[in-house]
Amino acid sequence: MALAQRTGRVRHRLILLTLVAITLLTVDLRGFESARAAQGFVRDLLHPVNSLATTIFSPVGDIWNSLFEYDDLEAENAALQQELDAMRGAAIQAEADSSAYQQLLESLDLPYAADVATVTARVERGPVGNFASDVVTINKGHRHGLTEGMTVVTGAGLVGRVERVDGVTSTVQLLSDPGLLVGVRLVSTDDVGLGHAVPGEPGMFIINQGPNWPKITDTALLPEIGSAVVTDNDSRYTADVPIGRVVEVRPAADELALEVLVEMANDVEDLAFVSVLITEQREDPPLVDVVPSTSVPLDLDPDLLDPPEEGGAGEVNQ
Amino acid sequence: MIPLRLGALMLVAVVVQVTVFSDVRILGVAPELLVLLAVMFGYWFGPQRGPTAAFVIGLFWDVYLPTPLGLSAIVFAMVAFAVAASGEELFRDSKLQLAAIAGVGTFAAVAGYALLGEVMGQRGLVDLEMLRVGLIAGLVNAVAAPLTRPVLAWSIGAQSGFGGASRSMISSG
Repeated sequence: MALAQRTGRVRHRLILLTLVAITLLTVDLRGFESARAAQGFVRDLLHPVNSLATTIFSPVGDIWNSLFEYDDLEAENAALQQELDAMRGAAIQAEADSSAYQQLLESLDLPYAADVATVTARVERGPVGNFASDVVTINKGHRHGLTEGMTVVTGAGLVGRVERVDGVTSTVQLLSDPGLLVGVRLVSTDDVGLGHAVPGEPGMFIINQGPNWPKITDTALLPEIGSAVVTDNDSRYTADVPIGRVVEVRPAADELALEVLVEMANDVEDLAFVSVLITEQREDPPLVDVVPSTSVPLDLDPDLLDPPEEGGAGEVNQ
Repeated sequence: MIPLRLGALMLVAVVVQVTVFSDVRILGVAPELLVLLAVMFGYWFGPQRGPTAAFVIGLFWDVYLPTPLGLSAIVFAMVAFAVAASGEELFRDSKLQLAAIAGVGTFAAVAGYALLGEVMGQRGLVDLEMLRVGLIAGLVNAVAAPLTRPVLAWSIGAQSGFGGASRSMISSG
């Protein structure tokens, strides 16, 4: 009897926990603002404790990394990499500035990042857990003017976008996340496409789709190897932020479309400071509804569907 | 007093997981301290209280993860319940048994999190990397599991030490 009661209590408790979890999942997946606010509140509440712990335990991490990753060499390498990144970014930016497309943008009064306010932030920590490797947490948030979707850069170019904003911290989705799509422009051809990081190949970025994206047979439209790739004006990022340089142009798996492989200018795996561009956020441009040629558009006049009467075609031809 | 100590233990564990284990990685894998605690809650606290404690610590963890709120919580609770239910059938406590349960429980939690995450629309969670993470995290937690005994005993005010009656003692503590 007692065992049955105990089993019943356990079962009820499990059912209750499952229902609570399903409710939370539903609320979160449907994007209820209050759920996000509550999570942000908890993170803000624990932020001082986390900051203190980071300060206290950072030597532990340093010792660990020095044992296994040769810390001095890594620091020297990071400094050199930073210098190299800045030079690459400057070179790519110069190329973008001199392009015809840039002149067109300037004529439209949309110069690249002119007078864009920036907030410099320190990377507080890398990814937490084992399943979110392409995010970092920075030490600036709502209180510093950040909102979701803002562009994050360094001197070398694009780093990613602000994904989640709390009061004093924010999470940045890095460019190395293959799920992060970026609207880009190939400076040498002015082609516009969509690209993302290549899974399993750190530092590589691939562009393989876009409106009027050239086919592999369009040899005149192939971008030059070594030419720059920057963010497009119609993307949700600030225009003409350097992404990298073209290292390979190859046919896609279907042997029809073009794939452009880009080496990223920025080493997003090793960041210490970043800048957030404080700009008004834009949504992605709406996709145009494609009506298959065999279907009937909804707004088509029904009279046009009537079969032509005999002789009607002749009248038209006349 | 017991909820306070347990809450303090959870808080410290979350802070250590978020701060220390974002830097300290073993073969590129962050130790899954919170999963270890969830498994040990199931083992030491039994099927009544174990899943609830595991659910709460999973909820804490969800606050920091990009996956939907409640995902870790339900996985942790289920793993804790499975550990508690299977643990009741075991005849005696031993460090080896504890290590095995921690290792298998951790692997199950990692795999369960990835699978349920994919079902919930997250992408790229189920792959060979998941197996690697599960195996390494399982091994690390298997080694660390005996260390949790005195910590959990403190958190509920019970005496520490291994022995035939230790689990029932800590469960009733």
